[in-house]
Amino acid sequence: MANISIRDVYKNYGTENVLKTFSLEIQDGEFVVLVGPSGCGKSTILKIIAGLEPASGGQIFLGERDVTDFAPGDRDVAMVFQNYALYPHLTVRQNIGFGLKMRGMKARDIERRVVDAAKILAVDSYLNRRPKDLSGGQRQRVALGRAIVREPQAFLMDEPLSNLDAKLRVHMRAEIGALHKRIGVTTVYVTHDQIEAMTMADRVAILREGEIQQIADPDTMFQDPANLFVAGFIGSPGMNFIRASPTDLGGSPAVELFGLKVPVGGRQIGKTGNLIAGIRPEHFSVGEGEFTLNLRPTLVESLGSEKYVYFDGGDNLVERAADSEGEVAKGLIARIGQQGRIREGESVPLSFESENLYLFDADTESVIR
Amino acid sequence: MKRTLAQSIRLYLGVGVVCAILIFPIYWLFITALSTTLELKALPPTFWPDPPQWQTFAKVAEERPILLWLANSTIAAVGSVVLSMFVSVLAGYSLSRFHVRGGNSMGLFILTAKMLPATLLVIPLFSIFRSVGLIGSIWSLIIAHSTLIIPFTTWMLKGYFDTIPKELEQAAMVDGCSPLGAMVRVILPVSAPGLAATSLYAFVLSWADYAYARTFLTNSQNNWTANLGITTMRGEYVTDWNEIAAVSVFVAIPIVVIYLFLERYLVGGLTAGAEK
Repeated sequence: MANISIRDVYKNYGTENVLKTFSLEIQDGEFVVLVGPSGCGKSTILKIIAGLEPASGGQIFLGERDVTDFAPGDRDVAMVFQNYALYPHLTVRQNIGFGLKMRGMKARDIERRVVDAAKILAVDSYLNRRPKDLSGGQRQRVALGRAIVREPQAFLMDEPLSNLDAKLRVHMRAEIGALHKRIGVTTVYVTHDQIEAMTMADRVAILREGEIQQIADPDTMFQDPANLFVAGFIGSPGMNFIRASPTDLGGSPAVELFGLKVPVGGRQIGKTGNLIAGIRPEHFSVGEGEFTLNLRPTLVESLGSEKYVYFDGGDNLVERAADSEGEVAKGLIARIGQQGRIREGESVPLSFESENLYLFDADTESVIR
Repeated sequence: MKRTLAQSIRLYLGVGVVCAILIFPIYWLFITALSTTLELKALPPTFWPDPPQWQTFAKVAEERPILLWLANSTIAAVGSVVLSMFVSVLAGYSLSRFHVRGGNSMGLFILTAKMLPATLLVIPLFSIFRSVGLIGSIWSLIIAHSTLIIPFTTWMLKGYFDTIPKELEQAAMVDGCSPLGAMVRVILPVSAPGLAATSLYAFVLSWADYAYARTFLTNSQNNWTANLGITTMRGEYVTDWNEIAAVSVFVAIPIVVIYLFLERYLVGGLTAGAEK
């Protein structure tokens, strides 16, 4: 096991810069998740660490070793791929033992370690089958087995759960978490699913268009997002964004929002300029509160334990960068418990607290603290 | 959806007609070999000779060095397959995986070589082979056939390699293989159906050649390939078609046998990429 140190790494394809210069220190035994929408460069980072793609500049250290120019096989990392990448012509036993064989290990030792790894992942009864005879979940376990059998310095996982169905994904998510706790190998995990990122990671790094937006533990990421993108990406459903303007409330700074003047506490918002206010859907509640809006729901989605209620937010709603197009057209969203009957078209008092209001600079998109 | 009886009848009738059209030439070749010269000239034609002249096969095998010709054909075909596959596996893999400047144009340029008619290359090849002393040698055929085979097999294999996910060799490289090692240990075994289909195509192309053999193997009868041997059986005044048909049956047998053995791979190889 080792720490991974990424120093000033960037990547260009021809003249196009796909990964802006970044540095990241991953501690020994840490589980770091790289998350972001597709095409943000997260898989590229993983491939650079694995040595499958050369970085255009910068250095990668694994422990004390500078592995920047090492071939993938010499880096002592193991990788799990989205499509499993099991060798279809080999049995499960041969698949798991392939890396050990390549390293010239004796057949007897390979067999012992393959059987041990297979037992950990509960695939020991399929050792003589070929990948095509296994289910998706079993294939994923074999791919994990191939990674752990080598006892590498680090695991690199490229969206390993995205080919599984929803239920199995939740199950395997817990298994990977447990496996990490058990063997404690430094892990870099790539996903586009923020729930996977939040539930599995010691630290999360959010990427957008080749640039790291924020690196923090999941709770900090949720409670103290660095900018508009992170605030919109983390949380399900994502944060509501509303255009706001600075104003004055009895001598203290405030923002004007839905025609209400909401105090901003000690936050430096200036006197002019464009602001974007953010409220998480779960921070709305039905009934009177510090600030109350009377709105008519346009759509009510019941999930059984809670409801997603959409309101017409007018022209002031701002689209979340992480969303697919047209998502904002559904309107302002509130996530509320089963508080009585809410019907589409009937006016509902919807309230929020000023302390739950996030503020962002509309030009730089940075959070205003 | 279950077929009705009428639909089944129409389907089997259609399949039957297509099979009949495809099988008839083979049947007729066989019948010709078993008939006497008189029966062949009879009108209306006889569809089963009475009695079948099985001895024709023995007669041609005794009078002509057929086994030697078949051996020559085999050496030329196997040699061409080995040489072309060696080149086109590496070329096809490179075209599929490595994106170099001008790679696409290079690929298309290779394909245009396939569009040149074989006869166009005969004269320059003859001139080259004569200057290096290869005329009359089986090597001339191996090299000449490879010039025809390589462009097409390179493209066929590139198409096949394109269907194999890159992650397979990436996984192999992370497991400790070199890029070449990943190709040999993982990609080639996975590509077995594609390699089988491509090899067979190459084999048939070489086996069926006449023009190059006629031009380059002019000296002794012992160097001839089977196809060249057959054409020399046509006499100026009299041609024994039954004997030519008998030798043709001998020549067709290896191809039929190979098809039967590789059929499983061929279907897989030819339909590869049809589904993900």
